[in-house]
Formats: sequence, structure tokens, C-alpha cells
Amino acid sequence: MLEVNGIWKSFGGKAALEDVSFKVAKGEIFGLLGHNGAGKSTSLGIILGMVATDRGEVTIDGISVVKDRARALRKVGAIFEAPAFYDYLSGWENLRLLMSYTCPFDAKMAREVVQRVGLTDRIHSKVRTYSHGMRQRLALAQSLLPEPEVLLLDEPTDGLDPEGIKWFRDFILGLRNERGTTVLFNSHLLAEVELMCDRVAILRQGKRVFEGSVDGLNEDTPVYEADLQPWGTALGLIHGAGGEVLEEGRFSLPHEVDPAAFVATLVGTGVRVRAFAPVKRSLEDLYMEILNGGKK
Amino acid sequence: MTVMLFLQQLRGELRKLFARPRTWMGYGAFLIMEAVILFVYKLDRSQRAMKGIVERNGLEFGTYYSSLTITFTIMLISMVLLGAIYFALVAGDIVAKENEDGNLRLVFARPISRFRLLLVKYAAVCLYTFTFVFFVGISGYLMAVTAVGWEGGLLVMEQKMKVFAAYPEWVDGAKRLALAATGIGISMITLSSIAFMFSCLKIKPAAASIITLTILFVDMILQEFPFFKPYESWFVTWRMSAWVFLMEQQISWPKIIESYAFLGGLNITLFILGWLSFQTRDFKT
Repeated sequence: MLEVNGIWKSFGGKAALEDVSFKVAKGEIFGLLGHNGAGKSTSLGIILGMVATDRGEVTIDGISVVKDRARALRKVGAIFEAPAFYDYLSGWENLRLLMSYTCPFDAKMAREVVQRVGLTDRIHSKVRTYSHGMRQRLALAQSLLPEPEVLLLDEPTDGLDPEGIKWFRDFILGLRNERGTTVLFNSHLLAEVELMCDRVAILRQGKRVFEGSVDGLNEDTPVYEADLQPWGTALGLIHGAGGEVLEEGRFSLPHEVDPAAFVATLVGTGVRVRAFAPVKRSLEDLYMEILNGGKK
Repeated sequence: MTVMLFLQQLRGELRKLFARPRTWMGYGAFLIMEAVILFVYKLDRSQRAMKGIVERNGLEFGTYYSSLTITFTIMLISMVLLGAIYFALVAGDIVAKENEDGNLRLVFARPISRFRLLLVKYAAVCLYTFTFVFFVGISGYLMAVTAVGWEGGLLVMEQKMKVFAAYPEWVDGAKRLALAATGIGISMITLSSIAFMFSCLKIKPAAASIITLTILFVDMILQEFPFFKPYESWFVTWRMSAWVFLMEQQISWPKIIESYAFLGGLNITLFILGWLSFQTRDFKT
């Protein structure tokens, strides 16, 4: 549905993106991660045609954004950087105005979207009276008009409270499940990305350093944390089973080793097992490994 | 469909323009200025001075001390003193302010081309400028009517373009005044076009307005230099004053068409320059 092929961009001679490529399949939720300045927003800006590429190509549903931006973005809804509405207009007037840049305003559709994002009571108030959360909901509402097939969201949960973040997550997941909407979004909230995304790409200093499935984060050698006494005896058994010690109390075992049988061996050898649990590798672990060499 | 969508976008642009308190403050400022000019007109000293001029030209003071003549003066003075500043502010803001506030990032998340967006904004600026001149004319006339009554003719004395004309009948005078308002409206679009072009550049909105006013003032001052007198028709503000020729007893259409063709060409050039700059910019904080 969305293809980014080898995009390059520099600002004032400083490289912002270097040969970044990734694909987002139809109905997929794809997360773009990276430190501040890694090139996430620049990538989104290029996908939206707001930032010109030095090299490379972006296509949406097979249409080139570089060559035919208007046609490529016809099925796209987006929030790019902090949404700045016309504060002196009402939320409704903002929606009317922004939708008119895509197609004739459809009041029925707009009412439905406003209801979905929970802004019905305040939609006719001036935007300057809105809270941050309400602005984010309005931003989401405008991106949903008129029924996009692809949603591009730049830090959409930035500044939201936990309740707002959960609401947003449920909303996006519901949208994908009901309509098959394709979603690409940038976020710093790794836990949220992990809960929502099917796949992620990580950018570091303008380069894509990882792209993969969120489900596949734990496909590597399983890691365990255990409180074993005496540690020296346990160490020998771990090595004997083909495992590798990462630090005291933390080690990996090959896939073929059954953890229950290994615990039985430990107990049978006189090792006291006070705790033994597999370590689930989170997206945060992966992110830190890639970007900081494992330091949190 | 495309035309309907363009009109919807234009409506939205005008809605934005009129939703800003500053727009209405501008209308208020003009009304105050009109009232001041009217007050000055009502002073005995002013009336005596005008009587002297009118009678020296063999005309009857009673016929030309009228709402039409006062309206003409109001339009002439207020457009030079306030109109220039006001149109430069509005047109200088129209793109640059939205860029500064970040609104354009939301707009460009939409499948609208930059050319089309600028076309919508430029159309809004032109429409606004043109209709504003009529607002000044109509409100000025209504004020003048309350002060001196509706009857009387129109006397035109414009020194710079050397136009002197007298229309003793109200109907003739009113027609010429309406024609003058049309001419001023078209002329003022050039001022707005200059500010619009600067607004498309990567500069602050205030800078776009100030640069526009600076250019126009320098243009006005330079053409008064004896050295430049033979070339005065090449100055923008001289061409913008061509509307005064519409007040002549016998209208010289070739002279007027020449000036408006010059201004039209300039407006198109300014739009294209603004668009070229706008087209090549990245929109990102």
C-alpha cells in the first residue's frame, strides 16, 4: 500500500535521511521509531510531499507522491507534526475548511467522525478553548475525513494522558479491524507501539537500522532470569546444556532445551531454585540494544 | 465539480479572513478615518478654502460642496494613508502567517497542490481588496449624506495626475464615482499582489508587509525627483493612480487600458514569482 524506496534528504548539507526504505502492507499498522532528529518526521514529510526528496521514491497504492502528489494523497489522512488549527475558528469550521482541500464538504460524514472521536459537545466551540487532548481528537477527526485508506500519524499521542493514549490505541485498532485502514505512525511511546503495531522500523541518524515484526521480537535464543544457589554449580549446568551466561542470574538456553526439564536437573543436582522465569524481550529492549548498545 | 470545490475553498479562505478580529479592526479604522475627514470638511475654514477654489474655477460652491465630492476625497485620502498599510498587512499575512503558525502543515497533509492553494489565497486577497474599496466608498458616502445631504454634483481635483472635472448632475457624478471605485479596487490589487508575493517567501508576515510598503514609498518618492520625471509612467504607483483618468470629462480609454495592462502583467509576474518560491520550499519545523 505504501512504499518508501531509497529516500535521501539533507538540510543545509547535513544528511537527514540516507537511503531509507520500508513497505507498509494494506491493513498493517507500522511504527516508525527513533530518537529525536533520527528522521521520522522528515520521512513522513516526504511521504506527504511537504518535504522534497533529494533522491528516492514514495508510492501510495502504486501512485508516486513525487510525480503526482495530489492523486497519491487522495486516499490519505494525516497528522503531521503538532497539529496547528485555526484557533479563531470552531472545530467544525476547521473540519469544513480542511476537508474542502480534498473534496466537497460532507456534513453527515463529518458529524459521524466527530461523534466517533467524542467531540460532539464541543465541536462548535472555538479551537482556542480546546484542551490538548481535544485538539488531538480534532486532529484525528480531520485526518479521518473523508474516510482515508491510509493514515499517517506523527506523534499522535504526544502529550496525552494515559486514558487518552488508551482511547487512541483502541480507536486506531478498531479502525484497522473494521475498515482495514493502513496506519503508519511515529511515536516515542515504545510500549504503545508494541501494543499497536504489526511491524516497526527503527531509524538512527537518518538510516534505517531495523525493520521487522513486533511478534518476532522473541524469536531469538530464549533468555531466562533465575535466582540459583549456589551460582557456581548452576553455571556448570548452564554451560553443559549449551547455554550462555549474560550476567549472574541471567542466561540464555538453546531452543531445544526444555526449561521445565532444566529446572528439574538443577534441583536434582542440589541447586536451590528460588526463581526461574523466561525474559520476554520487549520492543524497548530491542530499541535500546539497537540505538544505545543495550544501555537503558 | 472543480469550480464548485474552488468556490468552497475560496469561501473557507474568506471565512478565515473575516474570522480574525484584526480584519474588523481594519474596518473600524477606516470608519474613524472617514469620520475625521468629514469633520474636517465641516469646519468653516475648510469650507471657505473649498469655496475659494470652486468659485475661482467659475463653479457654484453649493452644487459641489456635496456628498459625492466628500466621498471622492475620503476615498482618495483614506486609500493613500490607510489603504496601503491595511492591504499590505492583510496580503502579507495570508501565506506567511499560516506558515508561521503551522497551519500549512495541516493543509498540505491534504491532496491540494501548492499552486491551487496559492490561487485560492490570491483570489481571496483580490476579492477582499476590491470589495473593501467599495466598502470605503459606500460607507463614506453614507456618512457624507448624513452630514450634507444626498444632493449635489461631483468635483474632482487631482494635482498629481492633473485631472480636473466637474459633474453638476448627481447621476453623472455617482456613475463616475462608482467607476473610480472600480479603478481604485483594481489598482489596489497590485499593492496586495506585491505583499502576497513577499508573503510566499520564507519570511515573517510583518516583513512581507514592511517590504511592500517600503517599495511603494520609495517608488512614490523617486518619481517626484526631477531626474525621473520623464520616466514617471514606469513607476508602479504612477500606474496605480491611472484610475484618476476615469474621472476625466472625456475618458481616454487607451491611456487607462495601457496602465491596467501594465499592472495586470505585473500582478501575474508577482504571483508566478511567489509561487516559484513557494513550490520549492520544504514545510517542516
